[in-house]
Amino acid sequence: MPEIHHHTLDSGLTLLLEPDPDAQTIAAGYFVNTGSREETPQDMGASHFIEHLLFKGSDEVGARELNERLDDLGGHANAFTSEEATVYHAATLPEHTPELLHTLTELMRPALRDTDIHTERGVILEEIAMYADQPSVRVTDQLRADYWGDHPLGQPILGTTDTVTTLTPDTLRAHHHARYGAQRVTLAVTGQFDPHQLTQWAEHHLKDWPTGTPTPHPDTRPPTWPDHTRTLTDPDLTRVHLAATSPGLSAHHPLREAAHILADLIGGENGTLYWTLIDTGTCDSADLAHLEYQHHGTFEGGFTSDPDRAPQALATYRQVLRDAHTLITPHAVRRAARKLAVSTLLRAETPQGRLFTLGMEYLATGRTLSTDDLVERYEAVTVQDVQEVLRLCPMDRLTVVALGPISEL
Amino acid sequence: MPVRPPPSSPAHLWTLPGGLTVVFERRHTPGFAFDLRVPVGSAHDPAGAEGTGGVLEEWLFKGAAGMDARALQDAFDDLGVRRGGGVGPEATRIGVSGLRADLRAALALTADVLNRPELPEDEFEILTDLARQDIEGLEDSPADRLATRARQVAFSRPPASPYAGYAHPASGTTDGLDALTPQGVREHLTRYGQTGSVLGLVADLDPGDALALVEGTLGGLRPGLDEPVPAPFHAHAQAHEPHPDGEQTHLSLTAPGVGPRDAHWLAWQVALTALSGGSASRLFHAVREERGLAYAVSASPILLGGHGYLSAYAASTPDRAPETLQVLREELARLPQGLTQAEFERARTGLATSVIFGAESLRGRAHALTRDVALFGHPRSVQTLRQSIQALTLTHVNDFLSTYDPTRDATTVTLGPSDPTPHPDPTHA
Repeated sequence: MPEIHHHTLDSGLTLLLEPDPDAQTIAAGYFVNTGSREETPQDMGASHFIEHLLFKGSDEVGARELNERLDDLGGHANAFTSEEATVYHAATLPEHTPELLHTLTELMRPALRDTDIHTERGVILEEIAMYADQPSVRVTDQLRADYWGDHPLGQPILGTTDTVTTLTPDTLRAHHHARYGAQRVTLAVTGQFDPHQLTQWAEHHLKDWPTGTPTPHPDTRPPTWPDHTRTLTDPDLTRVHLAATSPGLSAHHPLREAAHILADLIGGENGTLYWTLIDTGTCDSADLAHLEYQHHGTFEGGFTSDPDRAPQALATYRQVLRDAHTLITPHAVRRAARKLAVSTLLRAETPQGRLFTLGMEYLATGRTLSTDDLVERYEAVTVQDVQEVLRLCPMDRLTVVALGPISEL
Repeated sequence: MPVRPPPSSPAHLWTLPGGLTVVFERRHTPGFAFDLRVPVGSAHDPAGAEGTGGVLEEWLFKGAAGMDARALQDAFDDLGVRRGGGVGPEATRIGVSGLRADLRAALALTADVLNRPELPEDEFEILTDLARQDIEGLEDSPADRLATRARQVAFSRPPASPYAGYAHPASGTTDGLDALTPQGVREHLTRYGQTGSVLGLVADLDPGDALALVEGTLGGLRPGLDEPVPAPFHAHAQAHEPHPDGEQTHLSLTAPGVGPRDAHWLAWQVALTALSGGSASRLFHAVREERGLAYAVSASPILLGGHGYLSAYAASTPDRAPETLQVLREELARLPQGLTQAEFERARTGLATSVIFGAESLRGRAHALTRDVALFGHPRSVQTLRQSIQALTLTHVNDFLSTYDPTRDATTVTLGPSDPTPHPDPTHA
């Protein structure tokens, strides 16, 4: 079983290493403890904009050369921004480990040039336009805005056309300066490498990382969680796309795995929503998942259906959630736990798969859990645990948003 | 779950007496993965009965070997396995991965699904209705609508063919679904058998035991039928699909490429990697990095009827779409000038590295083994494939490219509020 090495460098930057001598590749990622949650309504989209700008090069290395170096690693470099994390990652063959570390680190020292900001603004506006054509994204954005109210977790990660158009280079630089300090950054590395050499490298090359500002305490206000069904009418759509949400548990909560099992029993591939809504032909998709944030959680799901079937589908959806207590049997809990445990194992079979689990867990909870730990946590879940989740998170009050060629639902 | 490096011994290739090709690679791992490819895809739907294969694949999982739909799904879930696959244009795949102790049971369940399905009559109407819902769902997604339209324009069905061919999505067409009967769909199942089918399997087993396991579970599969459907390409076609309220105009170019058994296959792969393989690639650089014209731009190979085609895609807001289309065409048209040494080296490295990444997970390796046998006729070991890629030279690639201008015969299909092509030609629409 690979051992996890956890160091804090003098600069304050965290190093998480999980070497695996049998792996055929190495994966590395800078996990930055920042995201759209920290943005004011005027600055919406700043975190995601910065993520794009990091690929525009540093003072020493221009965009073209940086992208060439990333491609030289084998084309597995990418990044993503969420509400609470921004992650830059790459993977390569073990013989290219020095280039992997140098290039990924160069990426983290962006020049943030005005001209690059101008060009990239166009790319992000196209990205916003792309998602605005996707009904599932439109309905989810509105759902989160309604559920969270003025809590920043309800803001769109990409921002809006207006905010992205008006974000100035100075504002973006200020965001970057404040939020990319060493205390917020974790370098995680998995796969085939020598942990001692890597630690030496990090101590030498990452020692002058700027300090920045600490991650602000998250906004612990509860969500607005309105008990309503909002309808967004779009006569050009053929189907109704519906999303619904209610509170869940945070990433820290000891019953987190039990919450995943409950979501699987209700809205997994073999869950009750499947058998009541899809197997009967009422909807062509229906699901429920448990989403975690550092201090919050939600059960978020929905369905798509013909417009005239949407009222019946919503009634059934609500009924399934109301009757969720009947699904929590010893056999069902054991079956779901086993499936989720095997999924955890399969995800960990490549360094890239393992990297995200390791890094995101640490960012969310400060814990370093091995794959065995994660599997054991699923195996330990009892019927009583899942029942307790349902007691803590009753599902009889839902915030609902429906989008489609209907005037009301 | 560490996966030990692949052994130096090559993959084992067997043909069962009934015709099923089995390709097995041993890995020292607690897991397993298999990928069964049956050479019946949506292209094999009878003309006028589009959706047959898609509905059948769903129907197969509505109960088997005396189990009803729910019991069957529970049986898979009790194993904790992860199931994947689906209906593609040329083949239907069933992929399963899990822990080794459950391999026999997973293979047996898969055999039951194919050989002893219940095909309950009362599910049939529901499944055709779900397929209809899926088709309508595609209408709500501009990118999916464009993909379907591009197939219709580039690969329309030859009138004499008994097969529906490549012009429809796996869910079918509204008219095709209306024409389906339970009997017709049941008859379609006789095509799904051992002939032309390939099972890729990766697990920690003695090869003899692996073969015995597969023979004991899948060896009783019916003979089946393997009839490739030709994909005649319509060069120079052009069409615009109006989407008045769309936020973006979506662009698709399809052009002939190189088939998997052609001597220039790898050279073409290098060229595609240089064109669209990463953030320094030509399309990404010219369209996104340099001009900020699009978020999504790509070119990828598609393989149909034994031939390779290049499929390029981009989306931009309507007033920028004409420039995006122009840049896209210019980048494709300058391929005959060849790659630079640096581009070549980068693309070759990217391709060689992707071979390792692709073989790293059990699922990835099982899929690659199956695909190799189906497309190339034999498994390609990671080592051999890397050597072949390493043996490529810039001269070889540029010699190939000197006569390869994808725009020469390309079909162009667009979807959005306005037609972005410079000379919209309604006679081709």
